[in-house]
Amino acid sequence: MNTNFKSWPILLALGLTSVPLVTMYAYMIIDTVTVSPPGSFIPNGISFGSWSFLWEAPAPGRPSIWSVTLNTFIFACVSTLMALSVSLTGGYALSRLHLPFRGFFLGGLIVLHAFPTITLIIAIFLILQMVGLYDTLAGVILVKAALEIPFGVWIMKGFYDTVPWEIEMAGLTDGATRFTVWRKLVLPQVQPGITALGIFAFLSGWSEFILPQVLAPGADAQVLGVYLQSLISDDTSMDFAKFKSVGVFYAIPVILIYILFNKHLMNIYGGGTKG
Amino acid sequence: MRRTDLFGLGFMAPALILTIMFFLAPVVMTGVYSFTNMSTATGISGGAYLISPATIRSLTEQGFQGDAIERLSSESYVVDEAGLEAAEAAGYTPRFIAEIRSTLLGDTFTGRRDFERALKDLSHRPRSIRDLKKATELFQKSVLNVRFETEADFQSALSSLNLNLSPAEAVFLTETAYTGWIWTSANYDRAVNLPSTYRATANSAIYVTFTLAFNVGFGLFLAITTFYLPSGQAAFFRTIWFLPRILPPVLYVLMWKWLTWDTGFLSTLLSHFGVPPHNLMKHTATHAWVVVVLINGFVGASMGMILFSSAIRSIPQSMLHASEVDGANRWQQVRYIILPQLRWPILFTTAYQTLSLLTSFEYILLSTNGGPGSATNVWALYAFKIALNNYGGNLEYGYGAALAMVLVIIGIIASLFYLRLFNFKSMITSPRIEQ
Repeated sequence: MNTNFKSWPILLALGLTSVPLVTMYAYMIIDTVTVSPPGSFIPNGISFGSWSFLWEAPAPGRPSIWSVTLNTFIFACVSTLMALSVSLTGGYALSRLHLPFRGFFLGGLIVLHAFPTITLIIAIFLILQMVGLYDTLAGVILVKAALEIPFGVWIMKGFYDTVPWEIEMAGLTDGATRFTVWRKLVLPQVQPGITALGIFAFLSGWSEFILPQVLAPGADAQVLGVYLQSLISDDTSMDFAKFKSVGVFYAIPVILIYILFNKHLMNIYGGGTKG
Repeated sequence: MRRTDLFGLGFMAPALILTIMFFLAPVVMTGVYSFTNMSTATGISGGAYLISPATIRSLTEQGFQGDAIERLSSESYVVDEAGLEAAEAAGYTPRFIAEIRSTLLGDTFTGRRDFERALKDLSHRPRSIRDLKKATELFQKSVLNVRFETEADFQSALSSLNLNLSPAEAVFLTETAYTGWIWTSANYDRAVNLPSTYRATANSAIYVTFTLAFNVGFGLFLAITTFYLPSGQAAFFRTIWFLPRILPPVLYVLMWKWLTWDTGFLSTLLSHFGVPPHNLMKHTATHAWVVVVLINGFVGASMGMILFSSAIRSIPQSMLHASEVDGANRWQQVRYIILPQLRWPILFTTAYQTLSLLTSFEYILLSTNGGPGSATNVWALYAFKIALNNYGGNLEYGYGAALAMVLVIIGIIASLFYLRLFNFKSMITSPRIEQ
C-alpha cells in the first residue's frame, strides 16, 4: 500500500521463509505424476503408476479406496448436517428466545467453546463401548457433530444477533407464529453464517483423524485419514509416490472448497478455533 | 412455566442433549474412571471370580500357608453326600453308588488319577472307562481356573475346600480372585510417583513455550509483511501459509515426513554434500523438537496471521500516512503504530493457544509419536497412549483417565478465565419480543 517503502526486502524475506512449504507443495504434485532416478529430485519421466490404487483391487485385509471415500463423505456430510441444524436452533434460542437460565447457558457456551474437547476422548471411548456404538460410523458421526456444537452455536448466535428485530416484529404483526418467523424470515438473513459454518464443519469432518482412528478402527467404518495413515505406517518400502497420490486424492475436496470459498474460510478461522 | 419458555427450551433441546451426552457426561466420567483400575485386562463391565495360576502366585507372595495354597491350586476330589446325589441324578446304578458310599465316603483325593484308581477298584463300577471318568467329575471340588459369576458362588466353592483362613486372608483372597475393575485412588499415587510423569510435564512445558513463541512471533511477521505488499502478492503468500491449517493433518504430516525422513528430500539433498542420511524426525531429541515445533508452528502461525492482519487493517490509514509524512521509517511505523494496536489480539492468541497446545497431540502423534524414546512425549499424548494406543496391549483406561483429568481441570479453569476475559455481561441482552 505504501509507495514510500521498497517492497523487495519484504518479498525476499517472505519468499525465503516460504521455501520449505512451497517445496513440499510442489513435490506433493510432481511426485505423483513423474518418476525420478534414485538420489535425485529432477524427474526424468512421466508415470501415473502411483495412482493404481484407484482402479486396482485393494491388498488383502485393506478396504477399497472407494468404500473408504464413501465413508468419509458420509461422515463429513452427516456430521455437518447434524451440527448445522442443532447450531441453527440452539443459536436462535440463545440469541432471541425467552429461556429459563439463559445467562447460565450462555456462560456454559463460552466455557465449552474454549474447552479442549480432545481431553475427553478416553471417557468418550468408554461411553461408546458401554452404549454399544463403538466401531460404528454412526457413533463417530454423533461424537463429531456433538463436539462441533459449542463452536457452531457460538458462530450462529453471532449471526442471529445482527438480524434486525424489526424483521421479526413485522412478521409477528402480520400474524405469523414464532416458528414461521424463524424459518421464513430469519433463516434467509443468516445465510452467510450457514454457508460459513457448513464449510467449516465439512472440512473439519473430512480431515478428522483421531476420532475415527480411536472410536471406529474397523475396516467397515474406515475413513480416508485413517486409511492413509495405516498405509504409511504399515508400508516398509517408503513408497512416497503412492502415499502422495492417495494424499492428493484425499485433498481434492479441500482444495476445491478453498478455491470456491476462500473469503468465508479466512473469516471463520479468524473466529478462533483449533490451535 | 410459560409457553414461551417451552418454545425456547424446545429450540435449545437438541444442543442441550448432545452437550450433556458428549461434554458433561465425559467430564464427569473422566473423573469417575480415574478412580478405577479399568484396563483391557479387567474389562469395562463387571468381572467374575477366578483363581488362576497368577492368583496363586500372588497369594504365595502374600504369605499364605502351604496347606491352603495346596488345596486352592490342586484338583481335589471329595466323596460327600452332595456328590453321591449328583451321581444318582446322572443315572449311575444304585449298587455302584451304594458301594462308593460304604467304602469311600468322607475320603479326599488330590488328583484325578488317584480318585479314578479308587473307583476302578470297586466291583460295581460302570463298564465303560468314559462313564467312569465322567463320574469323577461329579466329586470334583477344585476351584482352579473355574469362573464364578457371583461372589456367593465363589464363597460356597471356597467353603467346601475347608481352607481355614483368617477373615483378613479370606478378604484378600476374594479381592485377588476378582477379575473385574475396582475403585481405587492408586492412579493418582502412581502419577505422582512415576518419573515419566515429570518427564511428560517438562515436555509439555517445552512444547507449549517454543510453539507458542513461534506461532505468535511468526504470525506477527506474516501479518506485518503481507500488509506492506500489494494485494495480489499478499494473497499469494497468505494462501501458502493458510493451507497447512485446512489440509488434513495426516496429509500435512506426510509432507513433513517426505521432507525429513532418511529417504526424503533433505537427506537426499545433504547427501550430495557428504552428510550421511538421517531420519531427522527421530534422529536426536533436538532434531525431533525442531521438527515438532515447526510442524505445529506452521499451522499455528496462520491463526495469528489472520487475526493480526484484520487488526492491522482496522488501523486508520491517516495515522500511517501521517507517520510517513513525519519521516518515520518502516521499522518505526511497525514499532510505534502497528504493534501497540495489536496488544489485544496478541493477548487473545496467546491465551487461546496456550490451552489448545497444552491439550493437543494430533501432530505429534502423527509425526514423532513421542519419540525418540520419550523425548517428545507431551502430557496429552502420554495420557492418550496409556489409555488408548499402546503397543504393549494392556490399555490402562483408569490411569489414562487420571492423567486426562489433570488436563480437564486445567481446561475448565482456563475456560472460566476466558469467561472473564470476554466481556460476558455485554452478551446477555434480553430478548425484546415477550418480556
